[in-house]
Formats: sequence, structure tokens, C-alpha cells
Amino acid sequence: MATTIEQPVKTKAEPELLGLLAEFDDPNALIEASKKVRDAGYQKWDTHTPFPLHGIDEAMGIKWTILPWIVAACGLTGGTIAIGMQYWMNAVNYPFLISGKPLFSIPACIPITFELSVLLSAFGAFFGMLVLNQLPKLYNPLFKSEAFRRATNDRFFISMDARDAKFSEIDSGEFLNSLNPVNVEEFWSDVESPKLPRNLKLALSLVGVILLMPPALVAYKRSTTTNSPRIHIVPDMDFQPKLKTQNTTNLFSDGREIRPNIKGTIPRGQFKDDNIPLYFGLKYLPEDQDVVGIALQDEKKADEKQPAAAEKPADPVLDAAAIEASKLDKLPWVTEFPMPVTEKMMARGKERYRIYCSACHGLGGEGDGLVSLRAMDLQQGTWVKPASYHTENVRKLPVGRLYHTITNGVRKMPAYGAQVPPEDRWAIVLYLRALQKSHEINADTIPEAEKRKLRDTK
Amino acid sequence: MASVTAEPIDTTIEVPGKRTPLVTGAHDYGTVTDAVCRLAECKTPTAWYVALGISASLMGMLFGLIGYLIITGVGVWGNRSPVFWGWPIVNFVFWVGIGHAGTLISAILFLFRQDWRTGINRAAEAMTIFAVICAGVFPGIHIGRVWLAYWLFPIPNQMAMWPNFRSPLLWDVFAVSTYATVSLLFWYMGMIPDLATLRDRATGKIQQFAYGLFSLGWNGSSRHWHRYERAYLLLAALAAPLVLSVHTIVSFDFAVSQLPGWHTTIFPPYFVAGAVFSGFAMVLTLMIPARKICGIEDLLTDRHLENMTKVIIATGTMVGYAYAMEFFIAWYGGNRYETFAFINRAFGPYAWAYWIMVSCNVISPQLFWIKKIRTTPWMIFVVCVFVNIGMWFERFVITVTSLSRDFLPSSWGYFRPTIIDVLMLIGSFGLFMTLFLLFCKFLPMVAMAEVKSVMPRPGGQSDHH
Repeated sequence: MATTIEQPVKTKAEPELLGLLAEFDDPNALIEASKKVRDAGYQKWDTHTPFPLHGIDEAMGIKWTILPWIVAACGLTGGTIAIGMQYWMNAVNYPFLISGKPLFSIPACIPITFELSVLLSAFGAFFGMLVLNQLPKLYNPLFKSEAFRRATNDRFFISMDARDAKFSEIDSGEFLNSLNPVNVEEFWSDVESPKLPRNLKLALSLVGVILLMPPALVAYKRSTTTNSPRIHIVPDMDFQPKLKTQNTTNLFSDGREIRPNIKGTIPRGQFKDDNIPLYFGLKYLPEDQDVVGIALQDEKKADEKQPAAAEKPADPVLDAAAIEASKLDKLPWVTEFPMPVTEKMMARGKERYRIYCSACHGLGGEGDGLVSLRAMDLQQGTWVKPASYHTENVRKLPVGRLYHTITNGVRKMPAYGAQVPPEDRWAIVLYLRALQKSHEINADTIPEAEKRKLRDTK
Repeated sequence: MASVTAEPIDTTIEVPGKRTPLVTGAHDYGTVTDAVCRLAECKTPTAWYVALGISASLMGMLFGLIGYLIITGVGVWGNRSPVFWGWPIVNFVFWVGIGHAGTLISAILFLFRQDWRTGINRAAEAMTIFAVICAGVFPGIHIGRVWLAYWLFPIPNQMAMWPNFRSPLLWDVFAVSTYATVSLLFWYMGMIPDLATLRDRATGKIQQFAYGLFSLGWNGSSRHWHRYERAYLLLAALAAPLVLSVHTIVSFDFAVSQLPGWHTTIFPPYFVAGAVFSGFAMVLTLMIPARKICGIEDLLTDRHLENMTKVIIATGTMVGYAYAMEFFIAWYGGNRYETFAFINRAFGPYAWAYWIMVSCNVISPQLFWIKKIRTTPWMIFVVCVFVNIGMWFERFVITVTSLSRDFLPSSWGYFRPTIIDVLMLIGSFGLFMTLFLLFCKFLPMVAMAEVKSVMPRPGGQSDHH
């Protein structure tokens, strides 16, 4: 018939013989058979047992694995990483100084070094074993054999690879049959590569899409701007139910969250009544007037006058100064320093002056400090040029009055009482006096040695 | 292969010149597989569903309470000045101690060639992993702001700061996380061949896929077995010092501080002995009912139970010795704070806890000297439950008594747990039991390959390695 000579059209690959599989029911028989296969000179073959069979290594001629060396290398790496990490993190990059102890000491490093060595060794043993065994390998043509399912239960197998140089389908089959197996079968490659089930593919892609969504969302949010406030996932301690200085509350009858001092109490470090000259710059406290109050009132009045001054060409600053002066002039200012004047005090005053005052008033006290010069350059309408110390008015002021100005401020000058302690304020006043003196000195009164010094520095 | 018929024998008697079999009954390789795989393959008993329902509800309660704790703050616990390490740390040390038995059985008994371990090691290792999970929960939530837990690890951060490697608490982070990882690897690696067995026997598509995935394509190749055994031996050799190091480092959390009652050099060996003690007690507490329900009494024989009770006597006696030695040193050392701490422990406001601990931990295990108790499962079970209670109280006594009365009498106090503390401890048992029940149902409870390797070969030749 014509059909007998008709070759089927080759659309798919032919299944290929991959090897032979011999089944044994006795571990001892397997060992005996393995010796024969080994002696016959086969190279690409294996035995499959449900448990590690004692004596099979010798019977098959399996060489010792290099796994212990891999594990040793991993362990050493772990230990080195641990020591290096602890040294770099605690002694170099972020030094922890605790009770003067050395930044790095071996005994404290032992626990973590040990743990990391063990951890990396364990990874080496586990993953090294998998890699050397070429696992995971989920597809294996052997698994198609129904009999081979018992290889993990109670049967023992020899598998012979068709790629072995000595392998031939007939001879090797006869050879295996001569070893008294229960059964010998062939195993073949698949005609077409196995495909994942449709449902699994769908499920996996769905999981993939879901997993991609959070990072995509984060990336989107990070690269765009928005008008709504950011999402506060973990508020930590950002919103605390507590009272703050400038807020209002129903808790107190005055509605303020900040509490005024209790009448008759003196805060720590605020007792000043035992030394009026030192703390206030006054010989005594006037009974009917609050010294601090005057200064604050005057400043307020000066500010209120500003809009009115716009109509009048008259200088509002001078106006305010006049009102202030008239009130403050009447107070009993001290004219002598209320503390002993020493060389040290002068040096201190110079230093403090240069820190706190010179930025506006200038190093020489002419009112030409850098801040002031810059403000004048900008032609800012609100800026009031600091007064020069070398005018007749300022020269006449008693030291107590100068001290008061530093403490409470004047015009645009803020109060420095809160940041400069009283002794330092007096030292600044002392230095200020010295500056004034330096501008009106008679050259003839300077000793010759000092004059020469002045010439030399020029 | 024909089944070997055997007379029922008493495995707790040593017959001179004869090796007592580790597997009783008429078992061959195939029937061992059948016995172990039965629970995973047969219809699930109703009791399992009931037990899982209860444990899963308790676990849900634990997670709910953790949510409450995170939203509200650690003030929901009884931790107050001066006792800032209350039940959370007690529970942590309790659970991490229980987690020592599994790896000890797998690693140290493996290195000592104690073949009887094959019957119990899988379940004990599983128990280890689950106990370490329970342990890990408590310090994690104890830090207060759990979303900053990553500060515990040396991860580069926006503050450009690194953790202090000289702190025992950081050593603890490394020790417990390494222990959890290595135990998991050890457990999983031991399970790969048995998962392959389940894969080859599975009939359902889902089972075939899941077991197939996790058995990584294991085909029982002897070349694979060779490397596998090497890797297993190496992991055992690594895990053996690791298991001793973990509770040593946990004890450093206490011993490296300067608090009287904590600052003692006996802590590391004492803690390790206590951990093995509590771990073995927990293994027995679980395995005595489990072997009955799962029908694996032939693989987990009375001999296995008896061997474990002997370990309990040994470690229980060590723990008792440590209690006595602490008192001796407190007196002999002449430090009056130390002396006070110990007198206060035994006769102070927490005397009730101290004497519960002593009677459960020192007296009850001594009952195992009596052979009748040692070989009767329900009696072992009762004693082990007492040991578990005693070991929880040991950690309570150490943590709370020392903190509640330290150097300054004006700051002394008395610790009172809140209801949240109590429910969280119960919830952690729920988490533990849920995981254990899932393990019993879906994974091979006994290391089949290992049991087969210590069974006599059909030819009569022993395959003892």
C-alpha cells in the first residue's frame, strides 16, 4: 500500500532516548550492582535511594565533595566582615566613646563575629550543597516514570545516561538486566517542552501586577508635586496633646496656655533687689516708676509715631528719642561702676563688645558696623542708624544709663539683658568709655613709647 | 518486600549484647513512609480542626493585641518604674529557651551519634522554629515604636548613625536572628528528601505542585546524598556551638548589667542548661499527645521518651545546682546588695514565685528517677507541664525581683501585670500551637529518610553509621 512508504510530516521533534532505569528492591543488591556498573567503566550514571545508603559511595566511586572548603571560606568571610564592620562603624565612621573605654576592643566583638561566621558558613553549606547538586531542578525526565516515584519511598534505582560514551541501547540494557533488577525501563525526552497551566500563569501575572503596584505608587508620588499635605503614616510625637506658650485653652480662666509667675515668687537667678546699682544701673529704684516699663513704653510710642511721621518731614527718630530722653533723664543713674574696675574687666569688655555690639556699632563705636552699612546700602526705610558714641550727647550719659540701654535696648536696638550677664554688660560699658576716651585724647599726653608703637603699626 | 513480623517488645529494657530497635512493630521502609505520610494524605480528623480553631483564635487575639499596643503605646503593659522589663522580656526568654531543644537534638545528638534522635528531631526542630518566632515577637514589640525596629540592625540611615556593637542587646539581635536563620535552614534542608516523598505520593494537583516546588526537584541521587550528608554534618557542627551561644548571649542581656541578682558569671551555663531543660520538657509535652493522635508510636517509642526524661533529670539537676550556687556566691562574695537581692528573692514579696519555680524545676524532675514515671507517658506529660510552668517562673523571678528592688529603696516597687500581659502570653501559645498544628498536618512529622537509614536492612545487616 502506498501509505506504508509515506513518511509522516515532521512537525515536531522526535522523542529522544535519554537513558535506562533499573529498579531494585533491596539496598544490598543495589550496592552489588553499582560495583559492577562502576567496574564496567560507565561514567554518566547514578543511583537513587530513599535514604543515604551506607557503602554506596565506595561502590560507585564517588569522590569527596569540595563543600567543606566552601563552608570554610564562607565562615572566614563572615568573621572578617563582622570584625571590619564593627571596627569601621564604631571606631571610625561613628565613634562611640563610652566612659573613656577604647573605641575598639576584640572581646566585645567576639559574639557578633562568631554569629556572622556561623551564619555565612550555614549559608555556604546549604546553598553550596544546592549549587553543587544543581538544585533546584524542578523538571527531570526521570519523574515521568511511574516506578521512579518509589525512589523516595522504598525502592532503589540505577539510572544510566544515554550520553555516556559506553552507552548503547541494546548492550547497556542487557547489561542492566544481568544485574538482577526487578525491572528495567527506558526514559525518553518530551516531544514538546512542558507548559505551565493556564490558571497558574494567570495567577502569577496577577500577583506580579499586585506586587508592582506599591513601588509604582511610591515612585509616582516621589516624582510629582501635590497641594494636599503629605500622608503622615507614622506621626511619632509630632502631634502631642500638650500646652504651648502662644496657644489658647479652656483649662484656665484667662484662656492662656502660658502661665504667669505666681505673685510673690522669684524665679531662680532673678533676685536682684540686693544690688540695685549692679542689676539696674540705678542708685535706688524709684518707687512710682517701673524702669523696664518706661523703656518698653517709649519704644512702642516711637513705633506708633512712624505713620504720622510720613506726613511730616520731621525726623521721627529724633522725636521719639526726645520723648524717651525726657523721661529717662530724670532717673537716678549711677555715675560710678558698681564693681571694681580691673584690667581683666577691660579685656572682657573688649571681647564681649566685639561679639555682641560691633556688628552694628562698628569696632570703633562710630555706628558703622557691617550690618548697619549693609542696611544703609539697601536704603531700607525702617532702619535706624545706631548712634555714634562720640557725640556730645552720648558722652554725657552716665554709666548707669548706658548699662540700661544695653539691658533693655533703645529704638531699633533689641534688649541684650537676656543674653549678656550683668557683669559682662558692665564690662562692655567700661570698654565703651575707653573707646570714647580714645577719640578725644590729647596727643601730647601719650607717652613716647606708646607713640612709637602707634607709628610702627602704621 | 515482605514485612518482618515482630513480637511487641519493651524498648526501655537494655538487653546485653543486643541492640534495642529504634523502630518497633512490623515495619519496613514502605510502611514507615505510610505511617508518616498518613496524616498529610488521609482525611483530617475533626479534633485537628477544633484544635486549630482554638489556637488560631488565640493567635488572632495576639495579633489584635499587638495592634492595640502599637496604636496605644507600651503603657498597656504592666511595665512601670522600676520594672521596665516585665512580661514581654520574660516571655521572650521563655520562648527562646524552649527553642533550644530542637537544634540541640538535631545537632549535638547527631554529632554524638545518638541514633534515637531520628524519631523526634523533625518535630523538635519545627518546635524550635515556632518557639523562636514566638520569642521574636516580644522584643520586637517591646521597643515601643515598632516601625523603627530596623534601627536594631546596622543599616545605613538618614541619621548617619550606627548601632553600639558593645551592647549585649545588639549581640542578642544577631544571636537570635542567626539562630532563627540557621535553624530554619537546618530544618528545611532535613525536610527536602521527605518533601520529595510527599511529592511522589501526592495525588492532588495542588499538593503535587506545592510539595514539588519545595522539594526542589530532589531525586534521591547518591551523588546528591553524598553532598547532602556532608552539608548536614557541617550544619550540625555549626549549629552545635550556635545553640550554646544563643542562650549564653541572652544571659548576657542580664549578666553584663550591674544589677544585683543579674550581675553573675554563672548565668551563661545556667541559662543554657535551663533552656535545654525547658525545651525538652516542651518537646515531650507536645509529642506525647501528638504521637498518639498521629499513630506514630512505633517510630517514637517509649525508649525515645525515656531517653528524653534522662536529659531532663540531668539539666534539671544542673538548674537546681545553679540556684544553690547563686545563693552560695551571694553569701561568699560578701557584697551586701547581692546578698540582699537573693534573700529578697526567696523570702521577699516574690517568695511565692520563687518557691513555685523551685518546686517545679528542682523537685518535679527528680521524680524521673523512678522508672515507672519515666516510662508512663501521661506521668511524663504531667511532670513536663510542671517544668514548663517552673521555667516561665524562673525567668519571671530573675527579671522582676531584681528590678523591683535595686540599690535605692525609695524607688522600690511591686510589679503587677495588666490583663494585656496575660492575654498576650496566652496568645503566644496560640501562635505556637497554630504553627505546630499546620506542621503536623502538611509536613512530614518524622524524618523518614533518617529513620530508614537507622533501620536494619532487609538482609539482616545493620546500616548503622
